[in-house]
Amino acid sequence: MKLVGKSLARDGPGSVKLLPEVDDDLWDAYNLIAAGDSVEAVTVRKITRSGGRDSERVKLTLEVAVESTDYDKDGSVLRVRGKNLSKNEHVQIGQYHTLEIELRRPFLLRKEAWDWPALDTIRKSCDETAANADLAVLLMQEGLAHLFLVGRSVTATRARVEVPIPRKHGSGAVAAYDTALKDFFQRVLAAFVHHVDFGLVQCVVIASPGFTKDQFRDYMLLEATRRGELRAITEHKARFVLAPAPSGYPHSLKDVLAAPSVMSLIKDTRAAQEVPALQEFYAMIAKDSARACYGPKHVEVAHERLAIQTLLLTDTWFRNPDVAARRKCVDLAESVKKVGGNVRVFSSMHVSGNQLEQLTGIAAVLRFPMPDLDDIEM
Amino acid sequence: QFVPKTDNQSDLEGPHRNAGPWLCSICSQQNDTSCMSCEVCGVLRDLSLYFNNTNEPEGGAKRRNKHSGVSVLARSLFTPSSPKSKAIVFSDGFRGNKNATGHMQASLGTLHKTFMTHKQRHNIVPFKFDIPSPDDMVSIGLKSSRHLRKADTSVPCVDIPGKMVMGDDDLVAEKDTSTDPSSSVKLDELGGNSSSVAANTRNETLILDNELQHLSLERKPKNSKAKIKKPVPVSQYKPEPWMLQGEDQEMPRQLNLAIVGHVDSGKSTLCGRLLHALGRISKKQMHKNEKEAKEKGKGSFAYAWAMDESADERARGITMNVGVAYFDTKNYQVVMLDSPGHKDFVPNMISGVTQADAAVLVVDASLGSFESGMGVNGVGQTKEHSQLIRSFGVENLIVAVNKMDSVEYSAERFNYVKSQLGIFLRSCGYKESAITWVPLSAMENENLVTAASDTRLSSWFHGTCLLEAIDSSAAPHRDVSKPLRLPICDVISSHVLGQVAVCGKVVCGAIRSDSKVLVMPSGELATVKIIERDSSRLSSARAGDNIAIGLQGIDPIHVMSGGVLCHPDYPVSVASSLELKILVLDITVPILPGLQFELHAHHAKVSASLVRIVSLLDQKTGKASARKPRMLTARQAAVVEVRLEREVCVEEFGTLKALGRAFLRSQGSTVAVGVVTRVVQVQG
Repeated sequence: MKLVGKSLARDGPGSVKLLPEVDDDLWDAYNLIAAGDSVEAVTVRKITRSGGRDSERVKLTLEVAVESTDYDKDGSVLRVRGKNLSKNEHVQIGQYHTLEIELRRPFLLRKEAWDWPALDTIRKSCDETAANADLAVLLMQEGLAHLFLVGRSVTATRARVEVPIPRKHGSGAVAAYDTALKDFFQRVLAAFVHHVDFGLVQCVVIASPGFTKDQFRDYMLLEATRRGELRAITEHKARFVLAPAPSGYPHSLKDVLAAPSVMSLIKDTRAAQEVPALQEFYAMIAKDSARACYGPKHVEVAHERLAIQTLLLTDTWFRNPDVAARRKCVDLAESVKKVGGNVRVFSSMHVSGNQLEQLTGIAAVLRFPMPDLDDIEM
Repeated sequence: QFVPKTDNQSDLEGPHRNAGPWLCSICSQQNDTSCMSCEVCGVLRDLSLYFNNTNEPEGGAKRRNKHSGVSVLARSLFTPSSPKSKAIVFSDGFRGNKNATGHMQASLGTLHKTFMTHKQRHNIVPFKFDIPSPDDMVSIGLKSSRHLRKADTSVPCVDIPGKMVMGDDDLVAEKDTSTDPSSSVKLDELGGNSSSVAANTRNETLILDNELQHLSLERKPKNSKAKIKKPVPVSQYKPEPWMLQGEDQEMPRQLNLAIVGHVDSGKSTLCGRLLHALGRISKKQMHKNEKEAKEKGKGSFAYAWAMDESADERARGITMNVGVAYFDTKNYQVVMLDSPGHKDFVPNMISGVTQADAAVLVVDASLGSFESGMGVNGVGQTKEHSQLIRSFGVENLIVAVNKMDSVEYSAERFNYVKSQLGIFLRSCGYKESAITWVPLSAMENENLVTAASDTRLSSWFHGTCLLEAIDSSAAPHRDVSKPLRLPICDVISSHVLGQVAVCGKVVCGAIRSDSKVLVMPSGELATVKIIERDSSRLSSARAGDNIAIGLQGIDPIHVMSGGVLCHPDYPVSVASSLELKILVLDITVPILPGLQFELHAHHAKVSASLVRIVSLLDQKTGKASARKPRMLTARQAAVVEVRLEREVCVEEFGTLKALGRAFLRSQGSTVAVGVVTRVVQVQG
């Protein structure tokens, strides 16, 4: 994201002008724009004239008071819906309009209060030096494959391939098995070629339990030499990395990302910081369960006793449409920081953030054991 | 301008034989023979070229090729269901077939028999029941059983409501409805349905509204799954005479025998040896395996190669997928399931071996190997497999202590293994008396099919050899009194069985050729064409049989491994949210809510997450704790609620054990085993 203009006061009103550049920026924008803010952007609206017989598409600049936002990660689309605020010959004030925030189109965001998570999001998002390593992960098991594109803050599932692979049934059945496997590989390769653009993707991880990854890589390289249109694969052979995975299901992605060989590839990305943070939490709960807690209630109690060392929470909390709840969460994070704790905000669009979200979305590693947490009803 | 019509037609068929101008089929312009396409509109001369053209670029779209020559009408008439719709189709063929063959489709149960008396084929029979109330009609409209009308004859055909539709209440509620008054209510609804012309005008208009759907003999309900509601309580099911007769048939009974154990303990070699000794492998084949194995420098794998046929398995020297082989003993026809021992392939092992009736646990007696199987560092698969096998419901275990030759057939080593493993097996819940210990050597063929010949072994061991131990296993329990359930283990296609064929073990009930089955969870009907057991044709199969079935009248995409074939009137329950009673295995990281894991139930695998921990169960008393625990640690028992990514077919454990077991795996190891206590929400 590019910061085009800024006039605001911390914890006060103000506006910023932002220019989203990559898909991830839309996600950041989605996190920034909350109900109650206002957004101004260039948009196209269908105007009907003379009793609805003629209609015309008009390009306008509209400002809307945001009522709801909608983000589709797989299509990378952000829509902002609200009532019009700007006076205009085509659209009346108070009429509903839905803006679509697009890449390489600036938008102006006005807030009543700029709290630190919002400012933090802008800072992180506009950090040019941050590695923007786009990583493609092909997570497979025999008969099932998922293709993920792991960006700075969003992991998008691009393809899912499922093919039934039969067992070996006596003599001759091995042929059926081989055909099924080949068919499976063929489909995975087709999905891979369709979704992976080596201009953007820096690195491809092929992960699977067993030998499926090796089998697939061999198949892919063989196909690439055989078929001219797949030359890109041969050329970027060095970008392929193999990694073990416990299964081909999406949640195994976090185990793949935690593997040392993969970790070194993504070490500057947000995903790379999130994965170990969550692992640390689980390690602590395994070692000393009284030194870790989860759930808003328990975390709050722990914070009252200043016990929180690391606070883990997902960005969903900051997106809470309920302003009071959002305020409370922001304050909690703020005061944890003040007393010397760490705060880690997870992107709920990453696999580890997703896992945290399943676990109520908030968790903490504590400085000292609090065994009495077990007695507090959640 | 006149061109004979025949000329035109032959143009279309074979343009190259034809001289003279040809008539464009679209704009009727006369074109010169030299033109491949019409000069005016550009339509190709040979229309079949269109189809060929579409074939080539879309190599993947086989479906389209198949239909390319068939008219839309024909397709809609003969294909029972469009691939897009999930609606259940009761093809007219079902009914016609039944009437033609004359025998009463006993599979329809008593309720339908009463029903049948009211109607004749191709006759509209006005029902005695009152016209359904508006409420009924709405519920019919929504839930709707099918309307069978022959599109081509325009004679409305009264439908046998094969699957009666009811609300998707819990099973508890279902039981309440098994009383007579409520079933008459059902009849009432159905009456409204089947007299589709006479009574139910609203439905009639619906039908007319949608002519195309009508033609394809189906009506898309609003909810695709609406028809697959639990129709009749299972308690009402009465097995039919043909299912019960022939219990003591000439065929020996089948025993599904799982071969499990740690990697490299010699499972496949043991299987290969057994097959060879029993003459199931031809000399020629064996010689070939031996020669190839030697060439690869893996002489010791010659027997294992009888089971491991794929190039990858051979190159790596490990089994990756469950292998199936058959042999006969005195009492049984044994289906041997050779499972992979490697840690990464435990999912394959689970989905392939859940059908086991008995198991052989192979352990490696040699120094160090046995210990690694027991998991000195990490969980060994000797342990994991025996836990899994126990939770598959296998009670009798044969422990084959293999590679005794490497320890000089030492009785001490055997007793050491026995005592070490014995403690663990008892902790898994195997009874002391249910475990048979057999020392053997697969490589040296000691104590496999005949008593030990080596004096070092025979001097101290006087027990049974492996084959005898297998033969004397307790007979598996067979339940034919329940409606048919056959979890699909594999979907295959072969010349003999046809395009769509499934493999699996009949869990309960019985099946015979030409009967209808419902394929869940897609909810499509299919006809059983061929039943095969070890490549020999059968006319029917009963609970416990491991069979392959050729299906007809169903699109392959509706048949997936992990699905269940069931009785059309008694579909299995489909769930996307479950309550499980689980036993946590030896894990290091505690289980927290939100844990994402793979859930295995019979042959189905699905990604799932733990929604909440309902209660902790006391190990001894089994009572639920008052408070919700924060987490679950090793060896705890608890009631949990899980949400599944996709719906699977399961039954509550109390209803049907085989479909009520679940295995939870996370990060490459089995974290918990459990049973389904409640299907929280039936997808509807």
